Amino acid sequence: MSHDQDDPTLHPEVQMSTSQGYFSGFAISSILMLAATFLVTSHAVPPFGLLMVISACAGMAIIAQIYFLLHIDVSEHNIWNTVALVLFIPLFLITIGLTWWMFSQLYLHTMIMPGMTH
Amino acid sequence: MSSHASNVDPKTAELWDKSHYQHDVISTRTFGYFMYLLSDGMLFATLFAAYGVLSYQHSYFGGPTPADFVKPWYTFAQTMALFLSVLAYGLGMNALKHKNKSGVINGLLAALVLGVLFLALDIHDMTHLASLGISVATSGGVSAFIVLTQVHATHVFFGLIWILVMMAQVLTKGFTTEVVGRLLTLRMFWHLQAIIWVFVYVFVYLWGYMS
Repeated sequence: MSHDQDDPTLHPEVQMSTSQGYFSGFAISSILMLAATFLVTSHAVPPFGLLMVISACAGMAIIAQIYFLLHIDVSEHNIWNTVALVLFIPLFLITIGLTWWMFSQLYLHTMIMPGMTH
Repeated sequence: MSSHASNVDPKTAELWDKSHYQHDVISTRTFGYFMYLLSDGMLFATLFAAYGVLSYQHSYFGGPTPADFVKPWYTFAQTMALFLSVLAYGLGMNALKHKNKSGVINGLLAALVLGVLFLALDIHDMTHLASLGISVATSGGVSAFIVLTQVHATHVFFGLIWILVMMAQVLTKGFTTEVVGRLLTLRMFWHLQAIIWVFVYVFVYLWGYMS
């Protein structure tokens, strides 16, 4: 790939910015966060269902921000950022998931459960 | 392959590429910086894991839990300040596309002001908690809560310093390869703070408020 190095503002990573994309990312994630906040404060949904709903809101907001703000897509210029992110996500989830699982098993087997602390 | 090669006329074939391929300095730096940001994501993974294992009932040692002190609408105001700051930075980067220097400065300035608002709301919240006697020493659960949220706030603080530096560099140096590359890496950094904030807001503030 050769780019016109004389004018850095012509670089593809500068040129891929669009106001519409930034507005879309902002609007989608704001509406989802507003919905999640409203549902949590109104206590309209039972806790487990509520956790599922706000997790879905977070997931969609994150996908919208990654696509519209970080420009993660399969275009020639961004493909390696996308590959790096796709390889990163399992590490992120495994780190949190396995740690949480190990400690929940520890608490279970050492009988330190809610209600048994008194 | 062989039939295709035999069709090449040696008298007209171009053996050398006339365009000179150079090292793409900006892309090399932004990709390297993206690697750094992903490792920063692993820092947050460990803090989220710590919060996950320290958010059980017994982790709070009978003391206050996030359900007692989180105010969802207050933190939603913080969310909007940060999202608007990220939007302002994006619009500034759109001005960079058109070589509009005042547009870039206005975008950075708006991102700075809204980022300061986010941080001011966070500091006000933390001093309020301190006035209630809630600190990292209260319990393991509160400690994990405060460390996670304040590590994010520290990222925002350093991002604000970086925005100030970039405003000075755009004004004094103009749009050189170095300055444009730094604006692009700061864009990734600033947008990543909004993405991390979605996790912090939903899984720490809102979920903590529910529990």
